[in-house]
Amino acid sequence: MIEVNQVSKRFGNIAAVRNVTFSVSSGEVYGLLGENGAGKTTTMRMMATILQPTEGDIRIGGFSVRTQPVEVRRRIGILFGGDVGLYNRLTARENIAYFGRLYGLTGARLDQRIDQLSRMLHMEAFIDRRVGGFSRGMKQKVAIARTLVHDPDVILLDEPTTGLDVTAANMFRRMVAMLREEGKTILFSSHNMGEIEKLCSRIAIIHKGSLRYAGTVAALRERCGMNDLDDIFMAMVEEGGR
Amino acid sequence: MDRQVVWTIFGKEMLDLLRDRKTLIGTFLIPLVVIPFVFFLLSMSYSNVEKEARAYVPIAVTGTSKLVDHLRSQPGVRILSPDRPAEALQAGELRAIVTIPDHFDQALRSGGSARLHVAYDNTNQKSVYAKSVIDSAVQQYSSDIVSMRLRQAGLSAEAIKPIETTYENAASDERQTGGMLAGIIPLMVVLSLASGGVAAATDLVAGEKERGTLESLLTTPIAANQILTAKLLAVMVMSCISATASLLSLSFVFRLGPLKVDGTVLSFGFLSPASLAVLAATIVLLAALFAGLELTLSTVAKSFKEGQTYMTGVVILAMIPSYMLMPIHPVDIPALYYVLPVFNGVALCKEAFYGAVDPLHTLVGLGTSLLYVSVVIAATARLFRREGAVVRW
Ligand SMILES: Nc1ncnc2c1ncn2[C@@H]1O[C@H](COP(=O)(O)OP(=O)(O)O)[C@@H](O)[C@H]1O
Ligand SMILES: [Mg+2]
Repeated sequence: MIEVNQVSKRFGNIAAVRNVTFSVSSGEVYGLLGENGAGKTTTMRMMATILQPTEGDIRIGGFSVRTQPVEVRRRIGILFGGDVGLYNRLTARENIAYFGRLYGLTGARLDQRIDQLSRMLHMEAFIDRRVGGFSRGMKQKVAIARTLVHDPDVILLDEPTTGLDVTAANMFRRMVAMLREEGKTILFSSHNMGEIEKLCSRIAIIHKGSLRYAGTVAALRERCGMNDLDDIFMAMVEEGGR
Repeated sequence: MDRQVVWTIFGKEMLDLLRDRKTLIGTFLIPLVVIPFVFFLLSMSYSNVEKEARAYVPIAVTGTSKLVDHLRSQPGVRILSPDRPAEALQAGELRAIVTIPDHFDQALRSGGSARLHVAYDNTNQKSVYAKSVIDSAVQQYSSDIVSMRLRQAGLSAEAIKPIETTYENAASDERQTGGMLAGIIPLMVVLSLASGGVAAATDLVAGEKERGTLESLLTTPIAANQILTAKLLAVMVMSCISATASLLSLSFVFRLGPLKVDGTVLSFGFLSPASLAVLAATIVLLAALFAGLELTLSTVAKSFKEGQTYMTGVVILAMIPSYMLMPIHPVDIPALYYVLPVFNGVALCKEAFYGAVDPLHTLVGLGTSLLYVSVVIAATARLFRREGAVVRW
């Protein structure tokens, strides 16, 4: 579903992503692991066609981000973590409906979809309130609903649990697992190895823009001969650094 | 589908903007606060200066003559004799100093002429008024002398004034109103056009970029151009709302205010359909130009704050031509102004309000405006579509 093929991205003389290759299949939550500045967001932005790869290509559902960006955008939903961008002066419903309309949903279909998402994410109590006064957790729910409003096949989650408390982060991961059961293709980035392991069987580790590992967590454990995830991560980062 | 997307975005932008107090303040500041305030100040200072100038006219007189009686009989005149008259005049304690030479009355009575010296302060409105008071006293005294001389020669007063002229002002009341409004209205309209869109433009790009919503918007299957078109429309609408509110506010203030002096009837009746059409086209094009410039700056800005700072530039850009053209009568507007950006809009506004719309000027002014608008919008679009322009990192 997602094929990242020898992708590089340079900003002037900063090489943010260097020759990265991995692929994600449907019904899978794939982990993209890296420290701050590793190039996770840049990779996601290239998948979402906001940035163009300097070299290489990414295919989503068979469509190239270079030559068929609109087809790609139709099929993806992207969620940025941290201080999620919502329109504070609009209600939760208005925020979600706006994006729904931009994906071509209208009328009863749109209303039904919003009600469905509202139930799924337990937003009934605040769906018609303005987003400005919401807590981080509530905002996150609205942002998720917005990401899923057009029922995308491919879901890109860029450090989605940043800023969430433990309960909210747990709930979020349960929801991701549910989406996996529906057969969605999910890319989940994080700087936290423990979190990734709870959800993903396959991961890619990037460091300073370069791919350090792509494969299953189990194989990684075996290769490093260590059990502690943080140790493994450190080992991987240092290995390539030398 | 294309159009519908633009309307969807436009609808959301308007909803968002109209719920924003900052935007509303920006849009209605000039029409609802600045205009009434400026007019209040103008009329206050105008009527106060006028009143004081009339009520009390202190002058000093040296020498003797019957003229002094005439001066005394003028309303408000007080004859003072300060120690240092020249300094008192400088300080504004005296409005004028009348110096009557020796043997003044004798010279006049004997059929000769005499020279009267009046010192006044041209920079002081009240002193200028005193001068006119002295003038009329001198006129009265002169005509007394003239009648006396004519009588002595056995003639009547008509003998030296065979032609009596009555003057009638060719400008109708409506034209006069137009003239007065033509000075201040383009200034206010152009200023509110420029400033009315500032808050909206800042919010809709720099603000959305800062909040990260623009990035999400660009991951949907719509074109960047559609987003920009909708935003441009939204900013233009806010500009035009501001300008319209300013026009209404001006008409209201003119109707109410004590500026309704000298029998000038103030109405908007002087706007002929042709003037109105030119005015509307000019306003829309100016709004588009300002909206384009403001969105460009908003796109370049790295943050909301930075955007706000840049916007000041647009408002100043609007102010300079407006002030430069304010005192100029349309007939005297240099031809060059009809091709310069913003100048051409202000010039056409003036013509419309003077009821003197010139077809060639209109064609050139609107044509060049359209050109500037296209260039600015093309540049904005290019900037907006540039990779990563809307991404914060
Ligand atoms: N638009 C941009 N222009 C220039 N440099 C950028 C831009 N976006 C990211 N970078 C740089 O690219 C590198 C990778 O950044 P990013 O992809 O945001 O990392 P991550 O998401 O893993 O923390 C960083 O060094 C960052 O400073
Ligand atoms: Mg990141």
